[in-house]
Amino acid sequence: MVVAAAAFAQDPRQIIEEVQRRSRSDSQRYEGTLEVVGAGNRIATKRWTFERIGSFGESKALLRFTAPAEVKGVALLIVNHPDRASDQWMWRPSIGRDQRIALQDRSTRFFGTDFSFEDLEERDVQQFNFKLLGDDNGQWKIESRPHKASQYTYSYLWVKKDNYTMVKVEAYSKSGLVRVIDYRDFELSGNIWTARTVEVNDIARKSRTTLKYDKLEYNLPLKEDDFTLQALRRS
Amino acid sequence: MTAALFALMLAQNFDQRGFIEDQTLVYPQIAPNDSGNIVNQILLRWDASYQLTPWLKFSGSIDARADSHEQTERVWSLDVDDRSIKRPAFSLRRASATLHKGKFTAELGRQFIRWGKADILNPTDRFAPKDYLSSVVSSDFLGVVAARVTYESGSNTIDVVWQPLFTPSRIPLLNQRWTALPSEAQGIPIFDDGARYPGGSQYGARFNHIGAGYEASACFFDGYNNLPYFTATENISGVSVQRYYPKLRLYGADLAVPLPWFTVKTEGAYFTSTTPGADEYALYVIQLERQVKEWSFVGGYAGEIVTHSSGNPLEFAPDRGFARSFLGHASWTLDANRSLAFEAAVRLHGSVTKAEYSQAFGQHWRATAGITWIRGSETDFLGQYHRNSYGSLAIRYSF
Repeated sequence: MVVAAAAFAQDPRQIIEEVQRRSRSDSQRYEGTLEVVGAGNRIATKRWTFERIGSFGESKALLRFTAPAEVKGVALLIVNHPDRASDQWMWRPSIGRDQRIALQDRSTRFFGTDFSFEDLEERDVQQFNFKLLGDDNGQWKIESRPHKASQYTYSYLWVKKDNYTMVKVEAYSKSGLVRVIDYRDFELSGNIWTARTVEVNDIARKSRTTLKYDKLEYNLPLKEDDFTLQALRRS
Repeated sequence: MTAALFALMLAQNFDQRGFIEDQTLVYPQIAPNDSGNIVNQILLRWDASYQLTPWLKFSGSIDARADSHEQTERVWSLDVDDRSIKRPAFSLRRASATLHKGKFTAELGRQFIRWGKADILNPTDRFAPKDYLSSVVSSDFLGVVAARVTYESGSNTIDVVWQPLFTPSRIPLLNQRWTALPSEAQGIPIFDDGARYPGGSQYGARFNHIGAGYEASACFFDGYNNLPYFTATENISGVSVQRYYPKLRLYGADLAVPLPWFTVKTEGAYFTSTTPGADEYALYVIQLERQVKEWSFVGGYAGEIVTHSSGNPLEFAPDRGFARSFLGHASWTLDANRSLAFEAAVRLHGSVTKAEYSQAFGQHWRATAGITWIRGSETDFLGQYHRNSYGSLAIRYSF
């Protein structure tokens, strides 16, 4: 069985499909703690709650800041599509209005973190071309190129062979390396191997954001009604 | 045990946030009706909400204020209608119940309703009176007592609002610098003779559609202008000025189209009135916006077309005052804690330019320093405030 898995897994698209299959869940919720370390070692700590319903390409997610106090209530609604980039709206209590995040603005950092708005999307495997580049240290190195509009021209993905988890991403634009994302501290949660720590390094800014997952749950009974623009305004 | 469980339930469903802010405004120049150079104001704002059931949520917000320039009432009773000439010392900013069932959401009570898509001026935003008391060029929103029902189905949303109690915008005090009197009126005692508030209710509806490459709305409003016209009565001791609020009907629309290089947003409204002495006009905005790395740019033009002019000069209309302007905003996020922002409105005979630096310290503190520079002639809406350029420093503790 192991031999069979390794054999079919030489196709990079199948590897990524297997990554998605193994991490698929109907819903997810976690509380995230973010530590942003900027140039000059300025540190800012933020917290958010994240809820998702659906899975890759057909999911919706709602992210709400809970700390620090001045950003508490700021929320982001992400509606992912199988065939195109997501729709995103941000809600700021201070102005009492939702604002659509335009596609060309997705490379912007999300609220002072090193995640861009695009990094918060969940794109389906069908939106990329893949090429297997290497096979060492128990990991596959795969090149991924998006079909649709993206700030990234291509990315390198590292996938562990033993459990099909993504452990590292290097994302490049035309001008070079933009972000490095490291996935660490994997735990089996709801039968899904999940990185409990994600570190994003913004190369140009020399800053990094570390996201730690708390109270992670999968396959909760969430409702579609809680992932709409009205829900964003109610948050 | 039961009490502990109840307390835990309360804690899980209760949410709150707020801040206390001290702001100092420094005016290098005195004005003919205001010799004060420094104004200090302190504001405590507390927002709380309680989710009683999955479909019912209560939200409340209160403000407590004090200032050094007699802009705030000295009476410490809770103000619930927010109609006073001065700011209430203690006011109920929001008190509403939100009911949610399926595709329907209803909010009842004092609440904030924002319409429109543009960022630099919103002609369709008619359920959003503002507080212009301490600065005409930088204002805060006031809540309104209303019932709002929203039906959302897929990419379409219908919003229906009924506002039974009128809430006016709060205008500058007659004896302070943001009431710019014409030179011929200087030296004449002017008395505030109160306001004639309309008794009828207001209502409006808005339809919003989200397409794959655009977002568009159409809206209708029937009610009253929350910005006043004035009647002036000459008497033996001076001139008495009374505010009144003309009928207003609005037909509006807005559109946002994200293009590959920037997003185009446009918003327009045509205003009619059956009140004698009120103008009929259209306001429109077209703006482009773009984010480039840590920079955010918004720029555009706000225009006005007057279809019927009554020739009544006695009105306070910042929305029209900012029209016929080129407007721009740029902000730069330096890092997670620091930001810079620039804003400008340029008319033919007047302009306002703002620059602001903001920095957070730790988890709770933020300091914001700014300069607002106003130039122009006295006949221009912005230019009439040319003595009111100011520097500001705000220290905020958020909790």
